[in-house]
Order: sequence, then C-alpha cells, then structure tokens
Amino acid sequence: MLLDIIISTLINGSVYALLAIGFSLIFGVARIVNIAHTAFYMIAAYCIYFITNSLNLHPLLGMLTAIVLVTLIGLISYKFFIDPIREHEAAVLIATIALAMILQEVMLLIFTGDFLSVPSLIKGYMEFFGVRIAFQQLLTIGVALVILAAVWVLLRKTRLGLAIRSTANDREVANLMGMNVAQVAMMTMGVSVALAAFTGAVVVPLTILNPHMWMHPLIMMMAVVVLGGLGSIKGSFVGAYILGMAESLVVFLIPMGSFLKGSVALSIMILVLLIRPEGLFGVAFEEER
Amino acid sequence: MSSPFLEIDGLNKGFGGLKAIRDVSFSLGREEMIGLIGPNGAGKTTLLRLITGILKPDSGAIRFKGKKINGHKTWSIVNQGIVGTFQNMRPFRRLPIIANVMVSCLSPRAMKRGEWVKRVEAKAMDALEFAGISDMALEDASTLSQGDLKRLEVARAVATEPELLLLDEPFGGLSPAETDLMGKSVKRLHKGGRFGRLHSEGPAMIIIEHKLQQLMKIVERIIVLNYGEIIADGPPEEVVKNKDVIRSYLGGGGI
Repeated sequence: MLLDIIISTLINGSVYALLAIGFSLIFGVARIVNIAHTAFYMIAAYCIYFITNSLNLHPLLGMLTAIVLVTLIGLISYKFFIDPIREHEAAVLIATIALAMILQEVMLLIFTGDFLSVPSLIKGYMEFFGVRIAFQQLLTIGVALVILAAVWVLLRKTRLGLAIRSTANDREVANLMGMNVAQVAMMTMGVSVALAAFTGAVVVPLTILNPHMWMHPLIMMMAVVVLGGLGSIKGSFVGAYILGMAESLVVFLIPMGSFLKGSVALSIMILVLLIRPEGLFGVAFEEER
Repeated sequence: MSSPFLEIDGLNKGFGGLKAIRDVSFSLGREEMIGLIGPNGAGKTTLLRLITGILKPDSGAIRFKGKKINGHKTWSIVNQGIVGTFQNMRPFRRLPIIANVMVSCLSPRAMKRGEWVKRVEAKAMDALEFAGISDMALEDASTLSQGDLKRLEVARAVATEPELLLLDEPFGGLSPAETDLMGKSVKRLHKGGRFGRLHSEGPAMIIIEHKLQQLMKIVERIIVLNYGEIIADGPPEEVVKNKDVIRSYLGGGGI
C-alpha cells in the first residue's frame, strides 16, 4: 500500500509539476493565462495514439513526432491567436479557453468520444513486497524527472534561461537592457508547449484517452500553481508533489473515495492560501508590481 | 558635413492636455557629455524616455548617427548603442546581482556570437567590478542598499557597451562621498578604454541631475528645460548666470 502510494504520488506529482512549470513559464514571461495548456497535452496524447494505432509505427517515433507537431501547433496558435491580442489580458484568457474548446471538439470529431488507450512502451512488471510495479510506471517517473532536471538546467545555465527569468521578473527593464521581449515570449511559448507535449508523451501509456481528459489536469495544474505561488518555478515543483500525494492518499486510503481526490486537493490549496495568500514560494504582489 | 551623432529635431510630446515636451531641438557630438537640468516636471525624464523608445513622440524626429530611431522598439534602440538608466532603480529583484548584469551582456550588441555563458558571466563580473559592487555578486538584488542599487544600474548600462549613455539622476540618494565616487566612475567611463573583459567605447552621455555642483564638475555643457522647453544651452558657467534659469530653477536659494 505504501509503495502504491509512493509510486502514484511520483507519477501524479511529476505530471502536475511538468504541466505547472510550463504554465508558469508563459504566465511569467508574457502574462498569458493559458487555459489551453493542458489541451496541448491532450492533443499530444491523441497524436501518439494516431501514429501508433492507425499508422502502426513504433510508439517512440510517435512520441517524438507528437512533441514536434504539438509544439508547432502551439507556436502557430500563439502567433496568430494569442500574440495579436496580448495587451488585453481578459481577451487572452477567453481566447485560450476558446482554443482549448476548439482542440477538444476537433479531437471529438476525429477520434469520437470513445475511451482509447496506447500500449506500454515496455511490457512487464516487477514484484516488490507483493506490490506489482509496471516497468512503464518506472519509465514514466524516470523520464519525467529527467525532463524536470533539463528544465532546471535550461533556466539556470543557458542564455535562453536567463532571458526567460529576467523577462519574467520585469518585462520593461528587460526591454530596456536590450532584450527582444517579443522573441523571448515566443521562445518561452515553444518551451511551455513542448513541456505539455512531453507530459502527454510520458503519461499516455498509463492513462485513458478521451477528448475531455484535459479538464482534470487543468484544474489540478492551476491549483498547483496557486499553491506554490504564482510565477514561482520552485513553488510549482513542490506544490505539484504535495497535491499529487494528497490525491494518491485519498485514492488508496478512503475506500470507494477516489471521486473525492480532486476536492481534497483543492481544499488543501484553499487552506494554504488562507494562511499564506501569496502561496508557498510566491512573492507578495506589491513587490512584483 | 556629416550628420551629428544624436540629433533631436522639433520634438513634441503631450500627456492628455499637458504638453511635456515642446518643440525641443538640440544635437550632441560623439565626444560630448552634457547635463540636463530643470525644475521638477520640466520634462527631463520624459525626454530620456523618448530617446530610449519607451515613449513615442507626437511629432518631431530623433536621429542617431543620421538614422531616424523614433518608432523603433526599445530593445532595438539599445542594440544600436543607446542605453538609459532609471531614476527609480528597477533591478530584477528576484535574480542575483550578477545575473542582473548578465542580462545586459546578452544583448546582441555586447555579445559576440557563440560566446559561452561562462564568459558572459566573467564580463558581467567586470562590469560589477567597475561599479564597485562585485563582492555582492551572488546576493539577490532586493538586498541592495540605495547607493548600491545605483551602482548596479550603472553596471547594467555599461555592460551593454553603449555609445550613448543616458543617466537619470545617478547621484540621487547617494551620500556626498558616494556621489564623489560615482562622479569619478562616470568620468572614467566617458574616457573609454578597457575594464577587464569589458570594453568601453567612451560613450557620449546625457546626465539628468539635481546636484548641480557635482554635475558641473563633470560636464562641459548644460541644457536647461522648463515646462518642456529648452531655456538655456551652454557651458555651465554661462548657464548659471542666465536670467531665465535663475528665475525658473535656481530661484533665490542659489545652488
């Protein structure tokens, strides 16, 4: 049981962390609340399904294609759909909701509303104190952690990372220091959507595909971001594992209680906000300006 | 005759009913270092913001090396060689001080293609060294004192390797001793040369300052703005004797 909880915490937490960090990045740099973020995660999953099931190609090829393709779709929708109205924050919010709905309806049209699944990348499982752990689960956790580490290196050690961090911190000053903020925003969008696509790629063998599958992660991701502190990458990371653990605890410890997992996680978020309105690692707003 | 280094021609800017800049024209040579003074609200900061492209003028032209730059984006103006500092210092509060300066080193102007981040960091360190705050490089910018923030601001501007540097109250909030030090740094920068890995072109400068005595020590020419208009332009000794200037700015209190 304990092992089950740990595994499930690591999977949920990693997925939420990947999603929340991508969401935080584009919010920080361009002040875009991208509701369509998890919709990109959904289309990445469908893309893999299409390539493996309909074209009968290797899942690995499917994952790579999906990541490239979805990133492209993300960049195109940013360029033509979000960027022209970026000055108007409420309009951007509504536009991204519309974008998410469009993607959902398109998937519904192509793949119908049936529940679909993708075979595991590696078969088999190992038994550990009587608990079955599928190799696919371990692979998902491993890859997710590698991607998280890569994001950390990108942000800390590269020029693009410095550009992203500084623009997120103060857009106007970055501009004044010779930073092409429009270009930085575009590249951040690319990184952000690529992260969503990666997430879709690593979890697709463990999950069930459905055109509404973006809803639950969206709510959890937003909760993670708010819990960790808006715009704080570290906060998103820690918050993701806290909520991921809360979910798995509910699922495994409350009999027949898995329908409660969302509400318990959100209650934790509300509790933290009551005590620390800026979130765990957030910055109080008067300083942010 | 070749076109002047910076030429401002019939510039106008209004905010609603208020005219902040009225028909301002002047030019600046490559080697010049000028002071810009005037009472509060005279439009000094607005003028700098127009030059750096943060604000767009209503009419008139700003030409840099003979090329019209109004309408360009700020980052592109920085890359052409003009950089400004803020009156109220605005560091990237949540980044370490060294990273604050590295950002400026990233501008295509200051960076040679293919330079490694490590080298950029070394260069940023030299800029901090120049400004005298290299010992605090790894602390968050939000921990700096007022005077050190000023230095950080200068280090950031210097790191873009500008040809024209616009300083908005570089001595504001500094103690007399710090002011002296800053004045010397600014002068040394104007002379140009190398500071470690950092190359200074010996930028032309426009300095807004209220501390006239210090300002007069370092500049050869002063422009006085009042209600958005230039009321005097000349060497410091002449400007302080100008009747209009005394009436509108220096007042009875002297300097």
